[in-house]
Amino acid sequence: MDPVDVAVLLTVFGSVLTFGGAAVWALNWAVQNGQFENFQRGALSIFDVDEPVGQATDYFPGEAPPPAAS
Amino acid sequence: MDRGMVLFVGALLTFTSSWLGLVLFPFWQLQNQPPYRSEPTDDPYPRPLQGLAWVGMKVYQQSGCMYCHSQQIRSDRFGNWWEEPIGMMRTGGDIKRGWGLRRTVPRDYIYDYPTMLGTMRTGPDLSNVGSRYSALWQHIHTYNPRAFNNWSIMPSFAYLYRKEKIVGSRSEKALPLGREWTVHPGYRWRPSEAEWELILREQGTYILTSYLAETPQPDNLNLATLQGKRQLLEYWLATPEEDWQLVPTPQAEALVAYLLTLRKAEYPLPEAKE
Amino acid sequence: MAVNVLTRDDHRLQAARHRASIDLSCRGPVLAFCTTALFWLLVGSALALIASIKLHSPYFLTGSSVLTFGRVRMAHLQAVALGWSSLAAMAACLWLMCRLSRVELTYPRMLYVACALWNIATTLAVGGILLGDGTSVEWLDAPVYAQPFFVAGVGLVAGWVAATFRRRQESHVYVTQWYILAAVFWFPWLYTVATLMIFWTPVTGVVQPVINWWFNHNFLGLWLTPIGVGTAYYLIPKILGRPIHSYYLSITGFWALALFYSWAGMHHLIGGPIPAWLATASTVGSMMMFIPVIAVAINHHMTMIGYFHRLKYSPSLRFTVFGAIAYTAVSFQGSIESLKDFSEVTHFTHYTVGHAHLGAYGFVAMIFFGLYYYMIPRLTGREWASSRLIRLHFWCSAIGITLYFTTLSIAGWWQGRMLNNPNVPFANIIAYIQPYLALRSIAGILMTIGHIAFAILFIVNIAGWGRLRTAGPTLFVEPVQQHTPEVATSVPYLRPQSVHLHQ
Repeated sequence: MDPVDVAVLLTVFGSVLTFGGAAVWALNWAVQNGQFENFQRGALSIFDVDEPVGQATDYFPGEAPPPAAS
Repeated sequence: MDRGMVLFVGALLTFTSSWLGLVLFPFWQLQNQPPYRSEPTDDPYPRPLQGLAWVGMKVYQQSGCMYCHSQQIRSDRFGNWWEEPIGMMRTGGDIKRGWGLRRTVPRDYIYDYPTMLGTMRTGPDLSNVGSRYSALWQHIHTYNPRAFNNWSIMPSFAYLYRKEKIVGSRSEKALPLGREWTVHPGYRWRPSEAEWELILREQGTYILTSYLAETPQPDNLNLATLQGKRQLLEYWLATPEEDWQLVPTPQAEALVAYLLTLRKAEYPLPEAKE
Repeated sequence: MAVNVLTRDDHRLQAARHRASIDLSCRGPVLAFCTTALFWLLVGSALALIASIKLHSPYFLTGSSVLTFGRVRMAHLQAVALGWSSLAAMAACLWLMCRLSRVELTYPRMLYVACALWNIATTLAVGGILLGDGTSVEWLDAPVYAQPFFVAGVGLVAGWVAATFRRRQESHVYVTQWYILAAVFWFPWLYTVATLMIFWTPVTGVVQPVINWWFNHNFLGLWLTPIGVGTAYYLIPKILGRPIHSYYLSITGFWALALFYSWAGMHHLIGGPIPAWLATASTVGSMMMFIPVIAVAINHHMTMIGYFHRLKYSPSLRFTVFGAIAYTAVSFQGSIESLKDFSEVTHFTHYTVGHAHLGAYGFVAMIFFGLYYYMIPRLTGREWASSRLIRLHFWCSAIGITLYFTTLSIAGWWQGRMLNNPNVPFANIIAYIQPYLALRSIAGILMTIGHIAFAILFIVNIAGWGRLRTAGPTLFVEPVQQHTPEVATSVPYLRPQSVHLHQ
């Protein structure tokens, strides 16, 4: 193998190890730290009592609103 | 840790990783490459642009030439195509097209600022254009590329040339172009049938005399026929305007000087061997 | 203080009023960013048309240095990327950050300064390039004297966005906020580092294009993409009234994007005179981009499932969903383009131009159009003047970009195949791509017609010539309105027949 190939292989494996290692470490830290508790509630934070889940908030001006979802 | 802090540290780390890997590391690897000398007494290659050529590089830069012309020759093992009719896969179109003798390497660019590698080949690669064409060819082609290639879509850079009334004798620098290209600089001009009739009525005898004088074996051109008139028109369009000449501005001279220095893909650098 | 028993309507009115007061607090600066962004969109469209027509009709507007192809092309990029996209992105950052943090914007006047600085920079960039100061450093073509204004402008916006986040009243940090915060942190840094290393203390030789492509790719990847994706993450669930399918997936997608996108830029130099490992590292990064892209695609698709009929009703949703689909498409395409075997053909051709426009227009611009249609009425309190014009805008833009992308992809692919084959004369390549380039101009004209319709709607709305919003769930409630029972019943949107609850 010529040095270029070695450099390429090292780069590929190096990147995979660095990227992968960092990702695994971060995920582990996040789980340990409780970052994933009450997670889905974050998705509801854009709604409020006035514009609750289930209410469409945009339609063409002057035209009929969409039928309510069942 | 608070969410904001997590985000900040994460964003910092991810971004720093790419900055180290893609910016700082190549910077260390390539920053201080010296020019090459095959013998200690030889002239070094490459050499920095100087004088007129440097000014010309500025014209190239501000006109955005590199948005259609790259300056990089790819390896002989790069860029596949199928050789017809044998159906064999071949590579190395850049070199086979004659754009350069070898691939370009980082050392070819150590004095370039900015380094205009380019990412588009609407037009041909220019790394080695200096060894392909003469100064005169470059001037005419820059003035209006369609004077050579009627299929070309390159813009005309006629604004880099000055049309002036001849005082005394024609300048040596004047472009040797027929009036077809010089009446409306940047465009191709052709009189309508009626205009040509008018011109013939006024200057017909003079044009015919010079046609007969300049054509080695003049045929029996009959100005009474349509064909004869058209034949004379072709001759007349190819002759220069009598009182006017087109001379390059200093910018055009600089640009052409720069194009002539572009010889990035021929000096035999050892690292460019494949 | 007497204890009031609040009815459900009271609660709703309170919430609506709070939201309206937040919208009102950012109204001035956000509208300033939006208006100037739209101006640059029109300038950019005009420059684009000139450049596009010149490529198949070289005698068009020839004879002046100002309108020569190279300069117009550089100016077009600055007008649409730094002018339109970035100003719209900053408007999105400010409005979404205030809404999601549930706090009003403070010291809005400084943001007028930021908006002015950025517009001065864009004017210097576009004007400077046309007058001959372009730098021919792709995406950083703006003359050196425009650069400090860009940094100062976005620096102020970044500061305000971060300050708004710190003052947040909402305990949950929504995924859009992650994207926005990261983007306003990355971009000023990215821009400063790139300009310092290319212009102020220039590095030598091929290190310049390396840094240049690191910047260019990250301009899309770490600036426009996070803000575009973040905007979609807000608009789609909000318009549907349905929470995002998986909040989990959205955060995973965010971190994968942060990790991998910033590594992807060097594939633009594949085959070029740079160390091979650089291009390889970027190919790895580009392939890893499948992870965040698939995460976003699944998430948006699962949120939309069962709700696709809503595209009929909501103008904003139409644009946003188009943009989200284009994001998936363009990212998949980008990952594949980074492979050597593919890049050998498509590099140096119009294929790349088609890809860039699918990203910058099909994805980014379409999502920002969606944002405008949702946000502007809530800021001005006026309804869009004409549904017909909105539909015209959508179809012109959607058909325009589709045609644009298709023609350039076909032309570019065959252009690349022919360029690789030294037996094909250059004249044949030019002759082959020319009809496709003409079709591209037609696509450009369509998109420009859409932009003009958009501009008319916008001007009518801003000037207050449109009708007030009086009905429907998108009603803007003036925060100054006194709460009395009479008012409560006179606000039509509190009438039961116009609300749709499904629990």
